[in-house]
Amino acid sequence: MIEKFAAMAKAAGAEVETPGNLVEAISFIKKYLEKAGPGEALISPDLKNRNPFGMEFFGLETKLSGGKLWVEAGIVAADYGLAETGTLVHLDRGDVEKNVWTLPDVCFCFLERQKIVPNAEAIESVISDHLSRTDISSPQVSFITGPSRTADIECRLTIGVHGPSRLVILIVP
Amino acid sequence: MKNKIDPVLKKVLQDFSKSYQGKREDVLRGYDFEELRTTLAGLKDRALDRNEEFLARFEGKARAHGSRVLRAKDGSEANDLILKICRDHGVAKIVKAKSMVSEEIGLTAFLEKNSVEAVETDLGEWIVQSAAEHPTHMVLPAIHLTRGEIAAVFAAKTGKAVPDDIPSLVRIARGEIRREIFAARAGLTGANALIADNGAILLVTNEGNGRLVTTVPPVHIVLASIEKVLPTVGDALTLLRLLPRNATGQSITSYVSFIAGPHRDAQYIILLDNNRSKLLADREFRDVLRCVKCSACLNVCPVYQVIGGEAYAHIYMGGIGTLFTAWIHGLRESRDLAKLCLRCHRCEQYCPTKIPIADLITALAEKINRETGKPLWKKLAFDGLMGRPAVLKTAFGAARTGRRLLARKDGFSRKLPLWLKKYDRFRALPAPAALPFSAVFEKKFVPGGAVQPGAKGRVQIYAGCLIEHFYPEIGMAAARVLSKLGYEVKLAPPACCGFPPSNGGFRKASLKAYAALLKDFDGDGPVITLCPTCATMLAKRGPSIEGSEKAGKLGLRVIPFSRFVLEREVSAVWRMAGKARKKAKVTYHDSCHHKNILKTEKDSRRLVATALRSEIVEMDGADVCCGFAGSFSVDNPEISAALLADKLAAIAKTEADVVALDCPGCLLQIRGGCRRQGMNVRVAHTAELLDEI
Repeated sequence: MIEKFAAMAKAAGAEVETPGNLVEAISFIKKYLEKAGPGEALISPDLKNRNPFGMEFFGLETKLSGGKLWVEAGIVAADYGLAETGTLVHLDRGDVEKNVWTLPDVCFCFLERQKIVPNAEAIESVISDHLSRTDISSPQVSFITGPSRTADIECRLTIGVHGPSRLVILIVP
Repeated sequence: MKNKIDPVLKKVLQDFSKSYQGKREDVLRGYDFEELRTTLAGLKDRALDRNEEFLARFEGKARAHGSRVLRAKDGSEANDLILKICRDHGVAKIVKAKSMVSEEIGLTAFLEKNSVEAVETDLGEWIVQSAAEHPTHMVLPAIHLTRGEIAAVFAAKTGKAVPDDIPSLVRIARGEIRREIFAARAGLTGANALIADNGAILLVTNEGNGRLVTTVPPVHIVLASIEKVLPTVGDALTLLRLLPRNATGQSITSYVSFIAGPHRDAQYIILLDNNRSKLLADREFRDVLRCVKCSACLNVCPVYQVIGGEAYAHIYMGGIGTLFTAWIHGLRESRDLAKLCLRCHRCEQYCPTKIPIADLITALAEKINRETGKPLWKKLAFDGLMGRPAVLKTAFGAARTGRRLLARKDGFSRKLPLWLKKYDRFRALPAPAALPFSAVFEKKFVPGGAVQPGAKGRVQIYAGCLIEHFYPEIGMAAARVLSKLGYEVKLAPPACCGFPPSNGGFRKASLKAYAALLKDFDGDGPVITLCPTCATMLAKRGPSIEGSEKAGKLGLRVIPFSRFVLEREVSAVWRMAGKARKKAKVTYHDSCHHKNILKTEKDSRRLVATALRSEIVEMDGADVCCGFAGSFSVDNPEISAALLADKLAAIAKTEADVVALDCPGCLLQIRGGCRRQGMNVRVAHTAELLDEI
């Protein structure tokens, strides 16, 4: 299923990395940011607050950029992966979380191996339950598959029209 | 009606259509499309049955999330509501994600008139808006513009020199549009579905502008039509499995968002009716509301590929758009559009909710005739001639009498004069036969063959008008083949089946012709048809409009020639064909009714291949209409000519010596086209090829 997810995600234009552990995954992102220069990274506050990986993101500057037009990189953790289509699923809980998928030029996304399910139907009740939540102001479920794309000019596929031109998925144990 | 054909646009659309079909096939591999679409159609039907109940549930749930749900009876109410929202929230600029419903109500122009700037953010829509044009495709709005034209538009907009490579154009648009999104105080989107159980909307997009428009500005307005409501998330997931695959040939789009409640200051959801309740209550037409706006029907529509969405639209495009237009914008607005449908039924093979688009256009043609009057030439042809079998017989008799004046030695008619030229400039028309098929059969048919004639029972041939009056040799060929195979051959009554008036929306004339034919029909054995259109009438449409038991029984007896021979006699044909491969290279043209209604295209290919002991060389777009389509080629000679030119080019590319087909209408068109082009290709009915082995 992991192979299928990776193959489908790549077919949709995403980059898929399989670092051996979380430290490697983080250093992969750090390297990118150092190379890119002093750009701004947008990290999902949910990722920071939940800290599901049990460690700090040393060296990653977190700047909430609600009003900023351009953001160098975004970092987020998906809640699920759908093998059928290579899709990342995120249960969004607040504004910045929604923007982290679309504002940056490059979007890095952690995905835990065991969170890969065969298809959307496998998490239908999770989606439905999240959308029915009234304890948060605007529950949203996002399916993200590959980078932003368009074929609006002469039917040619072009990447990065409004959202990221690169979507890097880091499948972590 | 002006149907100007732009060759550049035509090529773009046709290339897109081909690449779309390839991609769609790839992403549907491993899925059972029939099963998926049957499920989706059923689900949409159930949602429509309880539309108001689900809308009410949606409203309640959305309100619980803090959304404000408003109902709009028509476009003007929806526009007023949106303007009021803008004024209440101090919105001077609103950004829009792609929404056909906003086009339907003329929102942008209305807001501009009231000093609210409305900016499109979907790349294609933004290009079209910047160029002061209209979208010409539901999914690819700027498909009619080339990169050079777009670069010129961007240069005028930005006041800077703009390179015309696509990545640069996309980069420029990204910057410009993002500035607009951040400057706007409201964002407007449509919805691919409204989910009743959760009060959530579903948005399916590729570019990401939909997400920015919903999350960046403080106010989010959703403009959705009422048929979009589905009961559950599970239903939305079923839609999602088929929508992107069928729309763009993607397994899923880049961004799919289920959104419940306001992100920032407020979310308004406007539920637009605009005559949809009326359509919903109309049992004959309500299938239209199953449409999920995937555009697959446009992507495979032969007419749309030739003239594009600007000519083939009021607001909504193509055949399905014609039907929406009739209800939303009025019957008169749909009148010219309805004539553009070939009734080839190709779109129906791709529709993800099984909407019988072509048959609904026929029903619409009836409604238009009934409520807005009939065109004169059709009144003469259908009411005056075809609706009166005796008059029609006399007319064909008169045409035969005048044959000497009309006919050339090669069997074609002399060229038409004056304004009639446009009807035979692109294809030579056949002269009426010296004797009709029924008379030739009576006089000259000699039963016989290796098998005792009649040993296998009696069959009746129903040849249809074109074979009866123009191509008796095809009828004779079929009779000889069936006789050789051991059948006693009789003829069915040689009268019109009533299909042409039915297609023209002349139900009464059609019924008269069909009923007269039915009355004369006898026997109980197989009725073998040589024309798929007649077969469609006898097997399906006739029984449904006439409704008697006799009509139903006759319908069950009908079997197309190629299917009959293949099912019962393929080994005999194999033996008769002998061992030698025939030298002729054969290609096969799919006649629309043969393939899309009778589903007999594979039978014919197998039969021809067996008879000639040779492979069929497939032509490009074998199943694209040749442009004949009965009265279509009279209503639209330019489009008919363009479709024929494409067909002839595809045939020429195969370098085939013979074009095999099963429809005398296609034979008239293609043979006449070959004649005009001076192409040395034989165009033959399957029965003729079998007769020669």
